[in-house]
Amino acid sequence: MASTVSCTDFLDQQPQTALTQEQVFAKLENIDPLITGLYTNWRNARKDRGGFMFQLGGDESQQGAFQVRSEADQAGLDRYDGFLAPRNNALTQQWDLRWPIVSAAAKAILALQTNTEDEAKRNVLLGEASFIWSAVTFELTQYWGEIPIIDAGKLNEFGTSRKPLPQVYEYLIKNLQFAVDHLPETQTDKRRVTKYAAMALLGKVYLYAPQESNARDYQKAADMFDGVIKSGKYSLLPKFADLFDPSKPNSSESLYEFQFTNTYPDNNQTQWQMGSRALASIDGNCSFGGYDLMVPTAYAYKDATAGGVWEAGDVRKAASIRYDFIYNGQPPKLLSGFGGDELDPHVKKFEDPRTQGTMSFWYSGKNINYMRYADVLLCYAECLNELKRTPEAVGIVNNQVRARAFGGTLPTAMKWSEGLSQDEFRTKMLDERMRELCFEGWRRMDLIRSGKFVSLIKARNRWAAESNTIQEFHKKYPIPLTEVLQNEDISDADQNEGYLP
Amino acid sequence: MKNQILQILLLCLVTTAALAQSVTVKGRVTDKATKAPVFGASVALKSDLSKGTITNDTGEFTLTVSGPDAKVIIHSFGYQDIEIQVGNQTFLEVIMDEEAKGLEEIVVVGAVVRRESLTGSVASINAAKISQTPTNNINQALQGKVAGAYVVSNSQPGSDASIKIRGNNSIQFGTNPIFVVDGVIIDGGFNTLNPDDIASIDVLKDAASTAIYGSRGANGVVVVTTKKGRSGAGKVSYNAWFGVQSFSKKVDLMKGKDLFDLRVDAYANAFIEKNPQGNRQQYINDSLMGPNSLAFAQYELDAYRQGKSYDWLDAVTRKGFQQNHTLNFSGGTEKGSYFLSFNYTDQKGIVKSSGYKRLGGRMNLEQAIKPWLKVGTNTSFTNSKDDYVDGSVFSVAAVANPLLPVDTAGYYLKYGDIENQDAYNPLRSLSITGDNISNRLLSANYVNISPIKDLNIRSTVSFDLTNQQTFWYTPMTTGQDRRNSNHGKASQRKDVYNNLQWDNTISYNKSFGPHYLSVLAGTSLQKNQYNYNQVDAFGFPNDDFGYKFLGGAYSKDKTSLSSDFITTTLLSFLGRADYSYNDKYFVTATLRYDGSSRFGANNKWGAFPSLALAYDMSKEGFMSNLHPISRLKWRVGYGIAGNQNIPNYAFASLYRPNYTNNSVTYVSDGRLGNPNLHWERQKQLNLGVDLGLFDNRLMVTADYFNINNDDLLMVKTLSTTTGFTNTVSNVGALNNKGIEFAVSGALIRKQDFQWNVNLTVSHDQNKVTALYGDTKAIYNKGGYTGVEIQRTGNLFLGESLNSVYSYKFDKIAQQADMERIKDMDFAGRTVHPGDIMPVDKDGNGVINDDDRYVVGKLNPKFYGGFGTDVTYKGFGFNMFFNYSYGLKRLSGLYEGLMSSSGVSAAHEDLKNRWTPENTNTNVPRALYGIPRYSYGDTDLGLQNASFLRLSTLTVSYTLPRKVASVLRLENTRFYVTGANMLRFTKDRGYDPETGDGYPNSKMLTAGLNITF
Repeated sequence: MASTVSCTDFLDQQPQTALTQEQVFAKLENIDPLITGLYTNWRNARKDRGGFMFQLGGDESQQGAFQVRSEADQAGLDRYDGFLAPRNNALTQQWDLRWPIVSAAAKAILALQTNTEDEAKRNVLLGEASFIWSAVTFELTQYWGEIPIIDAGKLNEFGTSRKPLPQVYEYLIKNLQFAVDHLPETQTDKRRVTKYAAMALLGKVYLYAPQESNARDYQKAADMFDGVIKSGKYSLLPKFADLFDPSKPNSSESLYEFQFTNTYPDNNQTQWQMGSRALASIDGNCSFGGYDLMVPTAYAYKDATAGGVWEAGDVRKAASIRYDFIYNGQPPKLLSGFGGDELDPHVKKFEDPRTQGTMSFWYSGKNINYMRYADVLLCYAECLNELKRTPEAVGIVNNQVRARAFGGTLPTAMKWSEGLSQDEFRTKMLDERMRELCFEGWRRMDLIRSGKFVSLIKARNRWAAESNTIQEFHKKYPIPLTEVLQNEDISDADQNEGYLP
Repeated sequence: MKNQILQILLLCLVTTAALAQSVTVKGRVTDKATKAPVFGASVALKSDLSKGTITNDTGEFTLTVSGPDAKVIIHSFGYQDIEIQVGNQTFLEVIMDEEAKGLEEIVVVGAVVRRESLTGSVASINAAKISQTPTNNINQALQGKVAGAYVVSNSQPGSDASIKIRGNNSIQFGTNPIFVVDGVIIDGGFNTLNPDDIASIDVLKDAASTAIYGSRGANGVVVVTTKKGRSGAGKVSYNAWFGVQSFSKKVDLMKGKDLFDLRVDAYANAFIEKNPQGNRQQYINDSLMGPNSLAFAQYELDAYRQGKSYDWLDAVTRKGFQQNHTLNFSGGTEKGSYFLSFNYTDQKGIVKSSGYKRLGGRMNLEQAIKPWLKVGTNTSFTNSKDDYVDGSVFSVAAVANPLLPVDTAGYYLKYGDIENQDAYNPLRSLSITGDNISNRLLSANYVNISPIKDLNIRSTVSFDLTNQQTFWYTPMTTGQDRRNSNHGKASQRKDVYNNLQWDNTISYNKSFGPHYLSVLAGTSLQKNQYNYNQVDAFGFPNDDFGYKFLGGAYSKDKTSLSSDFITTTLLSFLGRADYSYNDKYFVTATLRYDGSSRFGANNKWGAFPSLALAYDMSKEGFMSNLHPISRLKWRVGYGIAGNQNIPNYAFASLYRPNYTNNSVTYVSDGRLGNPNLHWERQKQLNLGVDLGLFDNRLMVTADYFNINNDDLLMVKTLSTTTGFTNTVSNVGALNNKGIEFAVSGALIRKQDFQWNVNLTVSHDQNKVTALYGDTKAIYNKGGYTGVEIQRTGNLFLGESLNSVYSYKFDKIAQQADMERIKDMDFAGRTVHPGDIMPVDKDGNGVINDDDRYVVGKLNPKFYGGFGTDVTYKGFGFNMFFNYSYGLKRLSGLYEGLMSSSGVSAAHEDLKNRWTPENTNTNVPRALYGIPRYSYGDTDLGLQNASFLRLSTLTVSYTLPRKVASVLRLENTRFYVTGANMLRFTKDRGYDPETGDGYPNSKMLTAGLNITF
C-alpha cells in the first residue's frame, strides 16, 4: 500500500507557477485579481488596431487609402463588399477576443454568488463582474444581434446557441441593475467602475436597445441618466481640449476611462494606427506620426459651409482633428507608393505629446474614454426629446454641451431653437454627437439606432460610396465562420440575414 | 546468422605431425560478408604480441608458433578480434566480421538484451556507415539509410535535424522518435552527440520492438550505443575533417530592371482597371517615370537609369567553414575496458557572424570488481557555444529591394519611399550579439550483480543535465532599437534541464538444449525538471558593455523579468519474456504499465502489451536444398504503444499572475484544462520478412505495417463562447499504413574489388478515421490575426493529416471567359483577364467558403535512398542518394515572391506573367493594390517537391598496410566528400526538404582517419 501511495505522489505534479481555475475561484483573494485581469482584457480590446475595427466603415471615420489597398478583409469593413463575410478575419478576431471576457466574468459571478467570505467585498466584486459582463455583452449584441447568453450556472440549459434579443436584453438589464445596486459611488482605483458608470451604461442599454428586444424604454433610460446628473459628482470640463490632455486624466467629466501609460504592456499603440505615415517617415518619434489605419471622413473634417459637420467657432474641431502637419518648421511631403491621403486631416484625439522626440508613437498611452459626462447629457437630452420634452432637451444641449463647445458662451446664432420638432432634434443630435464624441467609439451604435445607417455611410464614407454595395442587413456583422464551424449550437442556418450563401 | 558468434574456424589440411618444437603455420584472412581478403591484419602470438606478422594483399600470412598450444590473435581495424588455438592445423582460414555487428547486445531500459531477440522491425547502422557522412549531427548521418525513417536536415549552424519514423502517427505531439543513448532517454539536443563516438544506431520501428519503451515508443525509438574499449592492445584513433560550405540553392529573384518593369506594369494595369478609357503609355510616362513618380523613389529611378542592381544577401553572407576533430583512446583487459574520446568542432556559418563551437569528452568504462559484480559508466560532457545572428539579417536581406543601394544609411529597408519597419537594415542588424553557451552532462552509471549464473540484477542511475545561458544585446544603432525606442536592449537567460532516470531490472537468460529463455522484469522511474529565468533590461548610456552590465540600464520601468519551473514524472513497470527454439522459432512478449504526471488524477496509467513471433525458415532441413535462399525469416508483431507528449499541465485551466498597470491580475492563458485527457494509444501490426539469397549476397527486408491510433491527442481550437481559445483533447482516430523495403547486394566480391549497392523504399499513408462526436472537421486557425483557417493542419474525416484545404486553381481568366463569368460573385475580388480564377466547386456562381475543399495532400508517394560503394585496392568510391517521389509542399516564400507587384521582392518566374501578348501562362498579371485571388488562396503555388539528391559522394584512399606498418599505423584513410552537391527537383523554393526558412547548404569536406 505504501508503495501505491508514493507512486501516486510521484506522479502528482501540479503547476508550480499558475493557479488552476478551481483555486482562482475558490476565494475572494484570488477573484479580486481575476477581476482586475478582466478589466485589463476589456481595456485591451479597445486599443491598438483591433480597438478601431468597429469604427471602420462609419460615416465619421474610415480606413486610410493604403490600408484599404493592402488588407482586403479589413477593407471589407469599409467597403461592405464580399469581404464582409463570415470568413472576415478582422471581425473574427474581435469576436474571439470578447467571449473569453464574458465567460470569465460569468464564472466569477457564479463563484461569487456562493462565496461567503466577506459580504460587502463580495457584492462589490459581483457588481464589477456584472458590469464587465454587461459592457462586453452589450457591445456584442449591438453589433451581431442575437448572441449566446453566457450564464455559468446555466451552461447546460443555455448551451452556446444564439438567443432572442428580448432574452439577451433581459439579462443585460438584470446584471446592470445589480451593478447599480452594489457598486460604490466612487473608486480610488480608477481602473474600477462605479455605480454611476453602471447607471449610465444601463441608461444606454434602455436607449440603444433595438425595438425587437422590447427593452427600449426612454423613461427608464432618462431616469438613469438623470440619476447620474443629480449625483452632482460630474461636470463638463470648461476647456474641451483638456479632455485630451494626458496630464489631466480621470477628470470630473469622466465616468470611466481605460487606463494606459507610455510603458509596454500598458501603452495603447493607438497613435500608431491614427497618425500619418508621411510624418512617420520623417521621424519615428514624431507624436503625430503613425500608419493611417483610420482617418476622418470628409464629412467629419470639413466645415458645414463645405458640406461637412463643423460650424464656425466650434473649438472641438481643432481639438479633435489634426489639419496642420508642419513639423519642425517643414511641411512634409507625400511619398510615392502610398494612398495619397496621408496629409489629409487625421484623428487628433489620441495623440500623445509625451512621446514627442523621445519615443515611438507606438508607445502612445493616453487614457481612452469609455463614457464621459457630455455623452450622458446628450443621451439624456435625446430621451427627453423622445419623451416629448424637446425644449428641456434643447436647453441641456445649448447650455451645457454646446456652450462649452463654443468657448463657454454659445453665440445666439449657434443656439438650437426650443421650437425644434422632435424629428429635427433627432437629425441635429446625430451631428452634435459626431462633433462632441467623434472617434470615441459610439458612432456605429448611434447610426444603427438612428435608422440612417445605410444612407449616411453611403453618403459620407469614401470606400462604401466607391463600392456602392452597402445594404440594410450590414447593420449586423456576420457570425464568424470559425464560430459556425466550431460551435455545435450554431449552424449555417443561424447566420445573420444577408450573409447566407 | 550474421549476429551469431562470429568466429568460424575451418580445418583444411593436416600435413605434419605436431611434434616439432616450433611450427610454421600459414593462413588467409577474409571478410565474412564480402569474402574479400583482409590485408594488413595483424596476426600475433597471444603470449607475446610483439611476435607477429601482417597479412599481405591477398590476406595471407605465415607465422612461426611454439606448438599446438599456441594461441594466435588476429586483429584488424573495423573487425572483431579473433583468437585461435593453433592445434595441429597448418593452414588457418580466418573469417572476420565487422566490428559493429559484433555488438550482439544492446542496452534497453537498464537491461541488456540480445540483439537477436529484438523480434520486431529494427534497422541497424554501424559505425562504418555513420562515418560515411561527415557531419556533427547524428540524424544527418541516418538520412536515407533506414527504410521508414524520414530525416529532414536543418541547415543552420548547430541546429538539429528532425526525424520521423513511419510517417505521421500523432497529429501534433511527439512526431519525433525518442532517442535512447546507452539506456538514457533524451528528448533533444541530439547535436551534442558526437557521431564519431557512436558504435551503432538501431531504429526500432514497430510496437513489438518499441514495446519495452511502452509509453514513449509511439513515434519509434532510436537506440544509440556508444563505443566501448575492447580487450587487447590499446588503440589510438584520430579523425579530422575540414569543410567549406555554401548555399546549395538560392531562389531566382528578379534583378533591378525586371523588378522596375514589373512595378510599372502593375501600376499601369491598376490605372487602366480604374480608368478603362485612360491612356496607359501617357500614365507611365507622366506619373510613373517622371520626376514626381507615384511609384518610384528617386534612388530607384537612378538605379534603373544607371542599370544597377544591388545584392543585399551577398553583403551579409560568406563561405562557411567547418572543422571537426576527434581523438579517442580505447582498450581493455578481460576484466574491464575503457573508451575515452575528445571532440572539437568549429563552424563558421554562411551568414556573417554566425557560428558554432563544441568541445566534448566521453568516458565509457566497465570493470568487473568481483566475479559477480560489475560496474560501468557511459559519461559524456559537452560544452558548446553558438554565435547567433539575428534572424532578420538573412530574412530581410533575402528579399531586399535590388534597386536600393547597399549601405548602412537607413534603419529600415524600403521599396519606393515606403520604409518597412519590419525590414531592419541587415547591415545594422549584424551588430546584434547573441551568444549561447550550453553545458551538458549525460551520464549512465550501472551496477550489475550476478548472484548465480545467468541471473542479472542491474541498477542504472542516469543523469542528463543541461545548463544553458543565452545572451543578447541589441545596440542603439539598429532598426530594432529605433522602432522600439529601447536605447539599447540587453537580455540574459538561463535554462536548466535536470533529467533523472533510475532503472532497475532483474533478468534471467538460459539456454538448455535447443531452448533459449530470457525473462526480464523491471521498473523505470523518470523525473524531468526544467526551469528558466530571463531578464530584459533597456536603456543604456552606450553600447560598449553589450549584455554584460545590466546594472547600467536606466529604463527601469521597462525591465522585464520572467521565469518558470516545470516538473514531469513517469513511472513504469515492465516485464518481458523471450523464448526461442533452435534459433528457428522466436517468441517475445512484453507488457509495460506506465504512469505519467501529464494526465489528470484518474487517467495517469496505461498498459501497453505486445507480442512478436518470428520463424527462421532457412533453418529447416528442406530449405538447404533451395540453394539460392540462404536466409528466410518471417516476422509478425502486434502491440500497443503510447504517447503522452502533450503540453505541460494540460489537465488544468491555468491562471497566471500578470503585472500590469501597477497591480497584479490573474489572466487565463486561454487553454481549457481537460481532466479527462488520457494516453494516446497506437495499435500496431507489423508483418515482415528477411530474405537472403546467394549466400546472403543479396539481402531483402520487407515490412508491412498498419497502425490504428485511437484517442489522438491534439490542441483543439474552441469556439471562444466557451471562454477559452483552445484545449488539449483526445480527439479521434488515425490509420497509418505502409510498406518498407531495404535491399542490399554485393555485386562484386573479388579479392581487390568489391562493389556493393543498397536501396531503401518506403511508403506510408494516413487517414483520419474518426473525430469526436459528429464532427467532420477540426480547423487549424492561425495567420496574421490568429483566426484565419489555415491551408494545412486541419483535420477532415476520411482525409489525410497532410491535406491541403483551399480553393482549387481553375485557370487564369482570359478575355474569352469574361462573358461567361460576368455574373459570378467573386466576393469582392477582381477577376479580369490575367487574374486567377478558382473553381466554383458547387457551381452556384458564388465563390465562397463552400468552394474551399481538400485539394490535395503533401505526403510523398514513396521516399528513401540508394547508394553504391566501390572498393578497389585501397581506393574507395561511395555515393549516396536520397529521394522522395510525389512530395508536395506549400512554399510561402515562392507564393509571396510570385504575388509581388514590384513593391516587394519578386521571382524571376514573374517574367512569364500574363500580358495581353502572353496569354498562355499560369502566372497572373501584375496588378497593384486591387484585391484579387492570390497564390495563397488557391493551390496554384503547390510545389511539386519530388526530388533526387546526391546527398554524399566520397572518394577515399586507405594507405596500403605495407606503408602503414612502416609508419606504425594500423589504419590510415584519406577522403574527400561532397555533401548535397546535386539535386534535381521542380520545387521553386529553397529546398524541398528543408523548406523556406533558410536555404540548404552544400559542403565539400576533406578528412582523414588514423588509427594506431
